[in-house]
Amino acid sequence: MSLISKKTQHILKDPLISNNPIGTQILGICSALAITVKMDTAIVMTLAVIFVLSLSNTIISFLRKFIPTRVRIIVMLTVIASLVIITDQVLQAYMYDISRQLSVFVGLIITNCIVLGRAEAFAMQNSPGKAFLDGVGNALGYGIILIVVSFFRELLGSGSILGFQIIPDAAYAAGYSNIGLLVLSPGAFIILGLIVWIQRTISKVEEV
Amino acid sequence: MRSNTYTLLFMSTITIVLGFLLSITATTLKDRQERNVENDIKKNILKCLNIPEERDQKLSADVIQNLFTENITGIVVDYSGNTLRELERGELAPKRKDQLPIYTYKVNATIKGYAIPISGKGLWSTIYGYLALEPDGNSVKGITFYKHGETPGLGGEIEKEWFTSNFVGKRIADMKGNLIGIEVVKGKADPGDPHQVDGISGSTLTCKGLTRFLKEDLERYDPFFNSIRGVTE
Repeated sequence: MSLISKKTQHILKDPLISNNPIGTQILGICSALAITVKMDTAIVMTLAVIFVLSLSNTIISFLRKFIPTRVRIIVMLTVIASLVIITDQVLQAYMYDISRQLSVFVGLIITNCIVLGRAEAFAMQNSPGKAFLDGVGNALGYGIILIVVSFFRELLGSGSILGFQIIPDAAYAAGYSNIGLLVLSPGAFIILGLIVWIQRTISKVEEV
Repeated sequence: MRSNTYTLLFMSTITIVLGFLLSITATTLKDRQERNVENDIKKNILKCLNIPEERDQKLSADVIQNLFTENITGIVVDYSGNTLRELERGELAPKRKDQLPIYTYKVNATIKGYAIPISGKGLWSTIYGYLALEPDGNSVKGITFYKHGETPGLGGEIEKEWFTSNFVGKRIADMKGNLIGIEVVKGKADPGDPHQVDGISGSTLTCKGLTRFLKEDLERYDPFFNSIRGVTE
């Protein structure tokens, strides 16, 4: 990674663990709970957020010197909403089944606080290149949590990973059964809570 | 602070540029999206009619298209059971509410089954699906649900094979040919009753809704199926 300086590396790496948008800032919880029943939806959602967040950050950063301060939030939302609609349209055209499962949650990326938050807090002050990296970093940080949560929910809730059955039939015959709670939202809350706890212990985050 | 004129101009430019981008995306992808929706409907009609018979394989869009055109012909009936016309090529469902589509599964001109669309309120959402009947117009050949917003793991289980397979072989009418419908009971169904299937525990309201709208839809189609039942018995 010698191509990128230490400082830029931080922009990309910090949001992954130490300043994770879900773990540390508790943003984007809604979708993290809703679409983590299965891993494939979580992965597609991650890709969608990477696309939207990196591009919205870049575009906002390009425009930052021209955006009138009074209407900046409106401009940001217009850009974000357009990108999200494009993503949604592409998913409907090329990944119909997954887009059906994600249903409203692709559209709800617009209201995902991470996207607007990064535009306001980072892209408005930094150059397009850095803003792009910040977008990718934060989207990945969000995605890692999504994928970890969905891994446990799918494995323990449905006995499969990416749709392939993992728990052998013999285990079911011997009396093992899937934990139904994990398929429902409360199960996601519990898993997410545990992950936030672990993440905060590792990165030593303390609430003031 | 920038002037009002600047702000207005800036906003207009942004809106026009982004609006332009969006309309390009929407128009270029429209055909593909409509094809996907159509394919999904066809896939579900085929599935409830049990075509192809081995279930496990994933069907590509082309295979679905071919299977559909080879096996399925559609007719439109009215509330009194009169056949109005055939469904045109590429037309999946008539737009008018008083025209009811029936998809007929034929092999070498012999009718193997009928499929009709069913829909109605569950607990949280409108459930959409297809019900297939055997050529006798009475026994259930299959049922699928393709769109709903019921609780995953509870009411959402209606789309699962273990639930839908219970319907196969059940009968919608009694010996005299009067429509009874199929009741999704709370708990276990009476094995001797051809009009009952097992319910899903924890989703009584979804099941009640399902029982109700299944009956309503079948009543609408009953003049047609009643005439078929008369012929075979």
